[in-house]
Amino acid sequence: MPSSISVDSPAGGVASRGGEPAVLVSDVRKSFGDVHALQGISFQAEKASVLGILGPNGAGKTTTVKILSTLLRPDSGTAVVAGHDVLTDSAGVRRSIMMTGQYAALDENLSGRENLELFGRLMGLAKSAARKRADTLLEEFDLVSAGKRAVRNYSGGMRRRVDIACGLVVRPEVVFLDEPTTGLDPRSRQGVWDLVTALKNQGITVLLTTQYLEEADVLSDNIIVIDKGTVIAEGTADQLKARTGGSFCEIVPLDVSRIPATVQALGDLVPAAVAAEIDGADKLSIPAPEGAATLAEALRRLDNAGIDLADIALRRPSLDDVFLSITGHSGGH
Amino acid sequence: MSVSAPAASTLFAELPEVRPSSFAQWRALTGRIVRTMATKGELVVAVLTPLVVTVAFYLPLRYVMKVQGIDYAQYVMPIVVLQTMAMTMMSNAQLAAFEALTGLSTRLQTMPIGSLVPLMSRICAGLVRSVVSLIATVGYGYLIGFRFTGGWLQALAFCGFALAVGIVLTLGADALGSLTKNPEALSQALTLPILIFGMMSTGFVPEASFPAWVRPFARNQPISQFAHTLSDMAAGHLSWAGTWVSLVWLGGLAILFLPLAVWASVRRS
Repeated sequence: MPSSISVDSPAGGVASRGGEPAVLVSDVRKSFGDVHALQGISFQAEKASVLGILGPNGAGKTTTVKILSTLLRPDSGTAVVAGHDVLTDSAGVRRSIMMTGQYAALDENLSGRENLELFGRLMGLAKSAARKRADTLLEEFDLVSAGKRAVRNYSGGMRRRVDIACGLVVRPEVVFLDEPTTGLDPRSRQGVWDLVTALKNQGITVLLTTQYLEEADVLSDNIIVIDKGTVIAEGTADQLKARTGGSFCEIVPLDVSRIPATVQALGDLVPAAVAAEIDGADKLSIPAPEGAATLAEALRRLDNAGIDLADIALRRPSLDDVFLSITGHSGGH
Repeated sequence: MSVSAPAASTLFAELPEVRPSSFAQWRALTGRIVRTMATKGELVVAVLTPLVVTVAFYLPLRYVMKVQGIDYAQYVMPIVVLQTMAMTMMSNAQLAAFEALTGLSTRLQTMPIGSLVPLMSRICAGLVRSVVSLIATVGYGYLIGFRFTGGWLQALAFCGFALAVGIVLTLGADALGSLTKNPEALSQALTLPILIFGMMSTGFVPEASFPAWVRPFARNQPISQFAHTLSDMAAGHLSWAGTWVSLVWLGGLAILFLPLAVWASVRRS
């Protein structure tokens, strides 16, 4: 099936598509038997933006990515990627995307360089062009020294870099990164983060699923929160944080075993939901609707009760707090 | 080791025109498996295994068989050839299972690659292995006195039929591998049928050597039939009467395994 892949410059790509979103999902449903993985999910990602897809395990993140990458067909609804409908033009979708799963999918027996050459040839580069492209990518991804070794012996970070590099042998329109930093050390994680930014600067749209709220916060232009197969919140990280309504006051008693006494002393400043979950906690987070005034009041009450503090501070809500307030259960696992 | 992200400006500089074609993809995917087989010693194993099998059966059994009036070199080579096809089947099952397990198969499905290309490339790489193995096996056969006595046409039919059996078995193995995604369990699970069908066949020893109760199975099971057909082709006795049962077995297995392999390989999940 001979066909050509557009390798426009980023500017040309943007101009030709006008204001069309790079990914448009509307009312997509998908069930596996009795399990309704997606129950009418809708969202869109603008061109050259990073969309963070956030949600606990089993929320439907991976199913969404699989539908967008043509691995699964939606039961109903429409999904359009880079102008191609996943149902009617799946070949077009496949020419426009690159997808990496949680596990780096490479030929384990081949070296990093051979993998890059293989993917280059699979994407339609001639043999010599594929070799040249592999050289470039090895250099760009700082893998020259490891290029000759079999991928089997790579560290997690290197493996992930080769994995992503293999998806960039030609220029994709939309990149799906399914939990790209799961299991990586902080340094490798930073490398992946820098890469996401680099892709975005190239005019490439990135869909990033993650369980790490921090990651979505740092990288995403927009975030959607998925729970139980639907989008339950959408917006920038700041907008989502604003939804939780103001700051939090974080209190760390010097003696963590005195947290129950701390709760007692704070009285009506501690919401019932927080008080119910103090078992084993080493700090206490309470809403601070009045900001500094709430902190001062808390300090006064704790002082009266004679509770020594290691730390007390106001902080803006994290996406963890957002998640908790929207879903009623904590994110992560 | 530093971890740096590529500079945005140079990442896609000077990218040449691309033209994905199924044929080029098939070549790239097949080439990579064959290269791995050649460099990781798998082809050496493919060449040495039939030698071990040949020696293991020919040396102890040739005099016993001579007493019964059987030229054992001529008798045993067809089943040794079939044994090598079973080895290819085994290695293809592993390959398919490994590619499904690591997610490579899934990833290829998200790329603009013809949906049958990955399966075709695995089968063709298996065929390369089978051909190498077959050449080696026939070579060993000639060393111990096996001969094609029916002319080159029947000799070609011998090779063609052996490879066809290999391909059909490989298709079934590929389906199993893609579906189970478990190389270890699969190699154990396949060992048993290979042993049963190999040892309980009339390819190693004549039917009369089996206990009476197992003779109907030994006589009629497909591997015995295949061995007989190959034996006829080697001796130049190829006839419809001696071949049609084999062809029915082979056709039946192909009708079962081909759609199964295609389904297992192209299905998306």
